[in-house]
Amino acid sequence: MHARTIRAWSWTHKWSSLISTLFLLMLCVTGLPLVFTHEIEEVLLPQAWTPANPDGPLLSLDEVLAAGLALHPGEIPAFMSFDEDRPVVNVTSVEPNAPAGKYSFEPIDRTSGDVAPPVAGHPVMEFLLQLHTDMFLGLPGMLFLGLMGLMLVVAVVSGVVLYAPFMRRLPFGTVRVKKAARTRWLDYHNLLGAVTAAWVLVVGLTGVVNTLATPILAYWKNTALKDLTVAYDAPAPMGERASLDAAVERAKQALPGMTLQFVAFPGTDYSTDHHYAVFFHGDTPLTTHMTTPALIDARTGELAAVAPTPWYVKALSLSQPLHFGDYGGLALKILWALLDVATIVILGSGLYLWLGKGRRRA
Amino acid sequence: MSRPHHNRKDLSLWAIFRAPLVLFGLSLIGLIGALLQDGVWDAVFSAFLASTVVVTAWALIRSRS
Repeated sequence: MHARTIRAWSWTHKWSSLISTLFLLMLCVTGLPLVFTHEIEEVLLPQAWTPANPDGPLLSLDEVLAAGLALHPGEIPAFMSFDEDRPVVNVTSVEPNAPAGKYSFEPIDRTSGDVAPPVAGHPVMEFLLQLHTDMFLGLPGMLFLGLMGLMLVVAVVSGVVLYAPFMRRLPFGTVRVKKAARTRWLDYHNLLGAVTAAWVLVVGLTGVVNTLATPILAYWKNTALKDLTVAYDAPAPMGERASLDAAVERAKQALPGMTLQFVAFPGTDYSTDHHYAVFFHGDTPLTTHMTTPALIDARTGELAAVAPTPWYVKALSLSQPLHFGDYGGLALKILWALLDVATIVILGSGLYLWLGKGRRRA
Repeated sequence: MSRPHHNRKDLSLWAIFRAPLVLFGLSLIGLIGALLQDGVWDAVFSAFLASTVVVTAWALIRSRS
C-alpha cells in the first residue's frame, strides 16, 4: 500500500472513530445489561402469580380492553399483546396527542379483568433501553444514533484495511506483552478488531436498521397500505368501532395456522387510522421473527386485506433478533456479552492510542 | 511521490487476512445459522460464533507464556 493511501485510510479511521466513540461506548455499556433483559427481569419482577379464577371462563378481548382503558380515562388504545404462558392480555394505551413514546401499559388478568403483576418493563431496564434507543430525544435521537452506527461501520472497514500495513511483519494473534504499553495496546486493539469484525458489523448494521423503524413503517403505511385508506377522510372514532373479538376472529380465519402476536389499533405506527392491524407470526425459527398483519376495517369489522410485509419491513423484523442476540438461547447471549466487552476494549484502546499520539507529538 | 511499503520480508495479504477471514466466515455462519434453526442447533451455531472468543483466549494465553 502506498503511504498516501495509508494516510487516507488512517484519517478515515481516526475521524469516524473519534466522532462516534463516546456514543458507541454508551451503547456498549447500556447494551450489556440489555442483552440479559429477560433474565434480569425474572429476578427483579416477582414472577409467581396465579390468575383470579384459574379455571374460570376468559373475558372477551373487548372486556379486557375496557378494563385496561378504565385505568386510564381519556386515553385511547394503542396496542394489545398476549402473554404466552399465562392468561394475561397487555393493554397499551396513549393520551391523544401525547408526545411520542408516552404509553400506559397494563397487564390484565383475562379471568377477572384485574391488573396482573408485570413480568417485563422494569423501570431500570426501560431507562437503559430508552437511553440505548434514542437518549430520550425521540426520533432525532434515534436517527442520530443510527448515524453513529454508520460511523462504526466506516471505522470497522477502514480498520480492516489498516490491519494489513500494521500486521505485515506480525503473525496473526501477536501480542507484544513485553513492549511499551502503547505497542501492547495496539496489538490488543488489532487482535480484538480482527476477531470481532463480523459480529460488530452485524450488530452495528442491524442497529442502524432498527433506528430507521419509524421511517420504514411510515413509508410502508404511505405506499403499500395507502390504497386501503382512501375510502375515509377522518380517523375511525372510538365510538364507531366494531368488536375487537370479531376483528381478531376474522383475522384468524384469514391467516389460518399462524400465531396471534399483537393487535395495533387505528392511528398507531403499526396500523392506518382506519384499521385494526392484527399481527401474526409463523412457527419456524425464522418466521417467528417475521409478522404478517391482517387489516380489519375498524368501523365495519370486515377484512380489508392480508398485507404480507414488503422486504424492507421484513429486514426491520430480522434486524431485531440479530441486534438483540435473543434468538439462540443463553449461550448466544453470553457470547453477545463477551463480544460487547471486547468492543468496549477496542473503543477504549483506540481512544488511548489516539490520546497517546497527541501527547507524543506535543 | 510515495513508495510502496512492501519488501520481501513482508507477509502476503493472504497470510495476514487468512485467520481473520476464517473467523469472519465462522461468525457469520453462527449468527445466521442460529436464526434459521432452533433447539440443539442453537448450541452448534453458538459454537461457531464462540470461535472468536476461543481464538482471542488462545492468542492472549500464548502471548504470556
